[in-house]
Parts: sequence; structure tokens; C-alpha cells
Amino acid sequence: MKKTVRKIFFLWEYEKEEAWINQMAKEGWMLIHTGFRKYVFEKGTPGTYTYRLELLEKDTHSPESKSYLDFLQETGIEIVGECLNWVYLRCKTADCKFDPGTRPLYKLTHLLKIQDFFNTIRLIFMIVIALCIVGIFILEHPQPTPVIDFFKGFCVGISLASSVMMLLFAPYFNRINRKVKAAIKDLYTCN
Amino acid sequence: MTNTEDNIVLTEAVFYTLLALHTPLHGYGIMQETKRMTGGRLVLSAGTLYGAISSMLEKGWIKALPEEEESRRKEYVITEQGRNIARTELIRLQELVNNGNKIINN
Repeated sequence: MKKTVRKIFFLWEYEKEEAWINQMAKEGWMLIHTGFRKYVFEKGTPGTYTYRLELLEKDTHSPESKSYLDFLQETGIEIVGECLNWVYLRCKTADCKFDPGTRPLYKLTHLLKIQDFFNTIRLIFMIVIALCIVGIFILEHPQPTPVIDFFKGFCVGISLASSVMMLLFAPYFNRINRKVKAAIKDLYTCN
Repeated sequence: MTNTEDNIVLTEAVFYTLLALHTPLHGYGIMQETKRMTGGRLVLSAGTLYGAISSMLEKGWIKALPEEEESRRKEYVITEQGRNIARTELIRLQELVNNGNKIINN
């Protein structure tokens, strides 16, 4: 038996998304496929699989990522879906090959990739806002026509929406920075 | 990397991978061998092992064996440089154990 769930997670809500997918697995719904805000589950024995969302440095089709994903597959990890640089992985819970995420070195490399990814998202938002503000100023001068009004409204809308997204995103951004600092501290005592 | 090669402290994952690769093995084999040697205490994750292998290949401590046609799995083996690194680490670890024994177990 299969079921499809439509659900939205923002890109920075990866922990929430992973927890949700693992909770579904505990309830007997194993994720077998992902699409744009679409999750396909198959009924199975509860807890058979453990899921992990991982961020790759390069997109999933690059040779570097391919070599990494091939390696994971050799060890019994399956790829159930991908989205940009994120991959949805799973392995049998009884013989799990995922890092528990407690070793400081692993934690730090994982966190740095996410911090880098977050920095890119923030930069994109900032560029969009800056462009829209420039657009609003440029469109200020000419005689208003419906077309100009439309574009002005468009710029205002996009810049407001981006600002709201940045505000929503800010707590996650701060949290990842705090986590990176904590992980660096851990490196002093363990490797 | 600021460490010189005589003054390197290896991670547990790297040391056990070097030990396991005294005989040629593929990635999954390294994980199983490490688990066996440590009686199940150290279970290398796929991500950690991949990182360790790429870094050691770059440094020349291990090398990939030519791939066999029917098998997609890559096999690796320790190099002479890798053996030296493991030997040097063993001396450091022995010193650690000796000093620990002297003071803790008196």
C-alpha cells in the first residue's frame, strides 16, 4: 500500500523534515520517493529504515557527489530522493551506516556545509531585495502607466516577501552559527 | 596541515582503516573489519569512512587497486608511506599506554 503526502518544509527546516520522515518510518510508512513538496510512502514494518537528509557540497550529478553516493550505495545505503544539493538517504535500522552525528569532526564538517548553504541563501535574498529597491527607485521617475505601476508593485511585493523570508530564516541562521561554534569547542577535547 | 609527518596524530577511523588495509578491501569490507577488530565498539559510518579514504588517497597513504570489470566496488590497499605512518602512530600510542599504565594503574 502506498500513500502520497504533500507537505512544505522550507530549505532550512531540514531537521524538522528529517524528524518527520523518521517518525513516519516508526509508524510503518517508509519513504520511497520524493518530488516537489511531495512525499511517497509505502507501508512496511515500523522502524525498518532510518532516514537521513544530507547536504552535498556539489549538486547530485557532479562527479564528486556521484563518487560519494556510489560509495554510500556500496555500503548498503539507498538514495530515495534528491532536491538541489540535498539527498534523502535511508538504511536498514538494524545495520545502520549513518554517523550518529556525535563525533565533533563529523558534526563540524556537516555543520560547515550547512552554514555555507545558508550563507548562499541569505546572499540570494539580499541581492533580490537590493535589485527590487533599485527597481522601485528607477520606476519612480517616469510618468506612471499601468505597466510601470505593475512592475513597481511587483518589485515591492518581491522585496517584502524576501524580507519576510529572511526574518523567518534568521533564527535558523543564528542557530547554525551557534552550533558551529560549539562544535569547534568540542574539537579541543575529542576528535 | 601544520603537522609534519613525524608528528601526526591519527583519528581512530584513520588508524583502523590503515590497519584493515594491510590486506586489500573495499569500503564495506573496511567497515566490517573495523567492527570485528574492536568487538563492535567502533562502527565506522559511511560518511566518515569516505572522508578518511579520500583524504588518505590524496596523501598517498593508501591506493586504489585497478577495478575488476565485473565488480563496481573499488578496493584499496595501504602503501609503504601508509605503513610508516601507522608504525609511527603505534609508537605514540604505546607511549600513551605506558604512561597511562604507570600513573593510573601504578
